[in-house]
Amino acid sequence: MITAHIMPLTILLPLVGAYLILLVGSKHRSFARNFGLLTTGITFAMVCYITYLVSNQGKMAYYLGGWAPPLGIELRADPITAFLLLTFAGVSFFVLLFAYDILPGEINGKVITRYYALYLVLLGSLLGIVLSNDFFNIYVFLEISSIAAAALVAVNGDKLAMEASIKYLVMSTLGSGTVLMGIAGLYMVTGYLSLDFLAGALPQAYASHPLTVLMTLGMLTVGIAVKAALFPLHVWLPDAHGSAPTSSSAILSGLVVKVYIAVLLKLLYRVFPLDFLAALPLQGSLLVMATLGIFIGSIMAIRQRDIKKMLAYSTVAQIGYVFLGIGLFSEKAMLGAVYHVFSHAVMKSMLFLSAGLLIKYSGKRTIADLSGLGRVYPIPMIAFSVGALSMVGVPPLAGFMSKWYLGLGALEANQLLFLLVLLLSSLLNGFYYMPIVIGGFFKKETVEIRQEKIPLGAQISLLVLIAATFFFGLFSNIPISFLTPTVQGIFSAFGGGI
Amino acid sequence: MSDIIVRVVTRLMIPYLQLYGLYIILYGHNSPGGGFAGGTVIASSLILYVLAFGIDDEDLRLSPSVARIIESCGALAYVGIGLGGILLGANFLSNKAAGFPLGIPGRVFSGGTIVLLTVSIGLKVASTMITLFTNIAEKEGEDES
Amino acid sequence: MDNLFYAMIFIIFLTGFWIMLRQSNLIKKIIGMNIMESAIFLFLVAMGYVKEGSAPIATEANPGLAYVNPLPSALVLTGIVVSVSVTAFALGLTVRLYKHYGTMDVDEITRMRSEEL
Repeated sequence: MITAHIMPLTILLPLVGAYLILLVGSKHRSFARNFGLLTTGITFAMVCYITYLVSNQGKMAYYLGGWAPPLGIELRADPITAFLLLTFAGVSFFVLLFAYDILPGEINGKVITRYYALYLVLLGSLLGIVLSNDFFNIYVFLEISSIAAAALVAVNGDKLAMEASIKYLVMSTLGSGTVLMGIAGLYMVTGYLSLDFLAGALPQAYASHPLTVLMTLGMLTVGIAVKAALFPLHVWLPDAHGSAPTSSSAILSGLVVKVYIAVLLKLLYRVFPLDFLAALPLQGSLLVMATLGIFIGSIMAIRQRDIKKMLAYSTVAQIGYVFLGIGLFSEKAMLGAVYHVFSHAVMKSMLFLSAGLLIKYSGKRTIADLSGLGRVYPIPMIAFSVGALSMVGVPPLAGFMSKWYLGLGALEANQLLFLLVLLLSSLLNGFYYMPIVIGGFFKKETVEIRQEKIPLGAQISLLVLIAATFFFGLFSNIPISFLTPTVQGIFSAFGGGI
Repeated sequence: MSDIIVRVVTRLMIPYLQLYGLYIILYGHNSPGGGFAGGTVIASSLILYVLAFGIDDEDLRLSPSVARIIESCGALAYVGIGLGGILLGANFLSNKAAGFPLGIPGRVFSGGTIVLLTVSIGLKVASTMITLFTNIAEKEGEDES
Repeated sequence: MDNLFYAMIFIIFLTGFWIMLRQSNLIKKIIGMNIMESAIFLFLVAMGYVKEGSAPIATEANPGLAYVNPLPSALVLTGIVVSVSVTAFALGLTVRLYKHYGTMDVDEITRMRSEEL
């Protein structure tokens, strides 16, 4: 019974968990922490099971209420979806494991229950977006995720975080308003909301209403780009991700931004035919914005003195890589983009978590004050270094593999300029990550450091993330061979590329 | 707030507002309406009470903690009804396919699980609206969502 | 002339958009947000409208009646729920920010913050 209904149950479990926490947790304070961790753990296990099923069957579909599309809502899992699900559920589980002992010291005790409830709602909505095969459902989960994410920034109630949160809320409402307008336009010209039926009806709709279809595509892309913080629509990101509590920053920077990319992937590769996209100016503008984002994000990151702000600007740059991979319209580049979604999720959450620990123990947020911490607190500093090296793209790590595939994709698409972009930007990444790594281990400490024991959960979580970075760098062929058939299918379906 | 006209009119209106809200919820499957619309009407009647009689009148208004419990229960009830479909051997949120009786169209108890779903949505929406309102209105409001 | 309301909706949408981006007062920003969203809802409702259609509820008395497309209305309802909760959340944050800074002007808040640092 579980096997047949695994997809809706996976989305429901965190949502039900959130309401149970609200119901019981107000009386028993430790309930939220234990139950929240348990729920994410089970969700992770279920997602692993979905991946196993997908690797056996190839594709899974589920009709809510037994109504087949276009009448009903469909959930769908294919290898790319399963890979993204695994990323989201896995990273959020380890972030929560990290937070188990850290969070109570960081946020007000009264809001812990609510924090866990919001976190689970966010996780449920992320899984929902990835699994939905229908724009209606995607829109609903998109909104849930943006409210939950804004609330996770502001949950602690300090001024900076609240200001960042309202900025984030306004920008993401702009984004979702534009997305909804786009969805309405798609529905108007085709009469469908299900992705498969849209894909079938669009060529004809384009023949009769070319302008409306173009405007719709533009609105959807811009709306998603606002939410995914593509340059120059990224202005909300550094404040929001820089001022949130540690575990919020980790999940916002690592996962929430990525889920909108999952929507864009669905939109561009499932709905709009590739040969149609290739005829539009979309590719050029995506590539230009991505390149600018990579460079300006990195340059802004170099200028920051606050470590969390620096990591947040680095996210702007990394999102640029993903958009680059999507915009190149080639098989290898798309593999690189999907792989970078995963590897950046792991690296960035690891960086934010270890930076959070270092900030907690040194009491300072500036980069200069982190020197010497590596000798007192080896594990967080090693985690930070591994994440930083992986960001730069040092060979055996996961970040290298995603850049490798992006580079291969640039070659495949015959856009050699972007190889140069990749190389130069790696150099820039080195500029702002390396001083912290070197200073952390070899410089003398500038501030007095409290000697405290790092909680066990935090240690395990950081070690697992380090191991994952190494594992998926060394054995990247496992996920890549899992993803390749689907990606090939996308590109071969439209007459073998562009 | 001691305006006698407001108080008397409010007192007269509240029962009808709540009855109307209940009607909208219960007839959501037979006529335009449903859980969200009805829940909002019920919530607005309670908000009207607070506006007329002041927020400090602790005796009669729905307290935030109770509202929060109703909110969670409403959401869980919705999911529970959906899971009922799975337990009866059909898909999540299945209605007729899972063997729920459809009844005679036009009656209150028709349409299988839809009545139950709208009632749970109504409960959830009404209590959420009240939570939101009290959160904003109270002096030391906690942040909501 | 049939498509005139689309132009109107577009104007309302842009009005909301403009208010949201240009006004520095948070309350005005939230109002702009709502104006923009109402434009989208109007668009959806207008899209699903069928001339002289009734509510989409089949009864035995009139099984073959023309009815209004229910799906855009469902989208609108969802959108309204979302917009209400976003508005409430944003207002809550505004109230709290006002308590901290004594102003609702974003530029003013940014200025005060940079002075604090």
